[in-house]
Amino acid sequence: MRLHPALLGLCFIALAAALFGYTYTFPAFPGQKYGPELFPRVIATGIAACGLTLVVRGWRTGGAWFTPDPALREPRRLISFLATLGAIVFYLLAAPRLGFLPVAAILVGGLAWWFGTRAWVAVAAGLVASLAVHWFFASVMRVPLPRGLFMQLLFGG
Amino acid sequence: MEALGAAFGLVFDPFVLMVIGLSAVFGIFVGAIPGLTATMATALMVPITFFMPPVPALGAIVTATAMAIFAGDIPGAMLRMPGTPASAAYVDESYAMARKGQLELNLGVNLVFSVAGGLVGVLVLVVAAPLLAEAAINFSSFEYFWLACLGLSCATMISTGHRVMALLSMLIGLAVGCVGIDPIAGHPRYTFGSVDLMAGVSFIPTMIGAFAISELLRNATHSDGGTVLVQEKVGALFRGIGGVARKYWRGFLRGSVVGTAIGALPGAGADIAAWVSYAMSRRLSREPEKFGTGHVEGVVESTSANNSALAGAWIPALVFGIPGDSITAIVIGVLYMKGMNPGPTVFLQNPQFIYAVFIIFVIANLLMLPLGWAAMKAAGKLLRAPRKLLLPVILLFCIVGSFAITNSPYGIVLMLIFGVIGWMMEENGIPVAPLVLGLVLGEMLEQNFMASMIKADGDFLVFFTRPIAGTLGALTILVWGWMALRSMRAAGSPRPAA
Repeated sequence: MRLHPALLGLCFIALAAALFGYTYTFPAFPGQKYGPELFPRVIATGIAACGLTLVVRGWRTGGAWFTPDPALREPRRLISFLATLGAIVFYLLAAPRLGFLPVAAILVGGLAWWFGTRAWVAVAAGLVASLAVHWFFASVMRVPLPRGLFMQLLFGG
Repeated sequence: MEALGAAFGLVFDPFVLMVIGLSAVFGIFVGAIPGLTATMATALMVPITFFMPPVPALGAIVTATAMAIFAGDIPGAMLRMPGTPASAAYVDESYAMARKGQLELNLGVNLVFSVAGGLVGVLVLVVAAPLLAEAAINFSSFEYFWLACLGLSCATMISTGHRVMALLSMLIGLAVGCVGIDPIAGHPRYTFGSVDLMAGVSFIPTMIGAFAISELLRNATHSDGGTVLVQEKVGALFRGIGGVARKYWRGFLRGSVVGTAIGALPGAGADIAAWVSYAMSRRLSREPEKFGTGHVEGVVESTSANNSALAGAWIPALVFGIPGDSITAIVIGVLYMKGMNPGPTVFLQNPQFIYAVFIIFVIANLLMLPLGWAAMKAAGKLLRAPRKLLLPVILLFCIVGSFAITNSPYGIVLMLIFGVIGWMMEENGIPVAPLVLGLVLGEMLEQNFMASMIKADGDFLVFFTRPIAGTLGALTILVWGWMALRSMRAAGSPRPAA
């Protein structure tokens, strides 16, 4: 999704204003001329200047405010895009409750199937990938991957 | 000498050698698959190296990136798709050679000159880094401030695309770096009461998001087209290399030296080194009309340049803690996490660790010869690796990797946010690499800036009173002036719509 340069510039000016404005909540330190607000203010000024440049440049060029990525106009690719993002959200929501293994298997298998892998290959890939990643990160690296309902049912506790 | 012995001991340890071997295979695989970059390889590997001691961790990164940059040449010649952006400069030339029936010669040249160029880069690194470190030991906050400024300015100056966009990206990186406890007064900034944000925006999940997730999103929308190889079987690879070497040794040397220098410039890495070298080779060639028709000369020079740039990038990273490219930006993040703050003191206190990096670089480049040969022989199979299966597995890796760094869903949320931001930025022509550079250098820049401001009592002229600081400051201002002049000139002349 492309934004018109002028609109993009305005977004950055707004961001800079927000960054700058927020520095007024930082406390002043007595006896010190420069506090935690100085550096963010310098950066915010820089962002605003760049934003302004974009606005000035964009003013002269025509074109639409939004130009959606042509690839995303095709429903299948749009769904692929959203599915990739959705898979991360699904993991965030489901993994703490259900546990790492089933959620990871569904994530890999489901996406692989959607991208066009045959169903049984997708299922096998989901199982193998989730078990392998779980073995490596949970057993070898000792990362506390979410156990969830799945492990509780299997091993109790 | 004692340190050198210790370094050999550190590297020639079965575990370290195993890590190097595995990362070499991983690097070739990632590099050879178009759409997966060397930076992405590093980003994916960091969560694993996070749990290792420094030497195998760095060994893994050095080896995988060297292999990936080289392996990017393989699909370039066979599919006309650069495996990594570093091969993009000469992909048309390579493909034209393959079409002419010179695939073997092209692959052989890519392999041999990647190795040779890489070794030249290492040689410069070995000689230059300790010398620079000796000078850098007397640096104060003023010098470091200007160095960081110069690094960031160069990064925006040489980046591809619009300079304003690169500058914006870098400033956003610096702004993101402001989140958390401020380094001078200890006041929480932009944390909105979140305990997670108090510790700052965690670097690795951010980087996995910006480099890997954004790439996956692009792949998800553009993953089509069957792989049509120019040629199925790869024949004898080393035939005719000697002749090429005798004819174009000047180009090779020039490419390696220029590549190392560009790599050492903060912010510019292997891809820019390859572009510059290819252009230079064409300009200085005796037969420039042959370029673009499948002529080996430009390939020799630029394939040497991109591999030598890798080692070059480690010079400022190890000596000053200022990354030479996006890969060393990640490396510096890793070093900080391991409590080994890069800088000249490491050369004094832990010289064995610096030597170990040098040795690993040499091993990685030598290992490239047999492994690269095998990869090229198996290229047909390698390039047909099913992307539709790989993408979901990589996504799972990204999720677990981000989680492993923070041990909480916070890492995954950061990864998701920066994945979308990175994708949006690239869609709008804003490069992502300066953002990561800004994020890495932000704290160092602010710390040295504030310390200098307090020392100078707000008098900016004091920033120029020390000789080296003054020189660096003048250089930085020169770069700024040059950039301003260029953009004013660009604004004056009519330009095609961006």
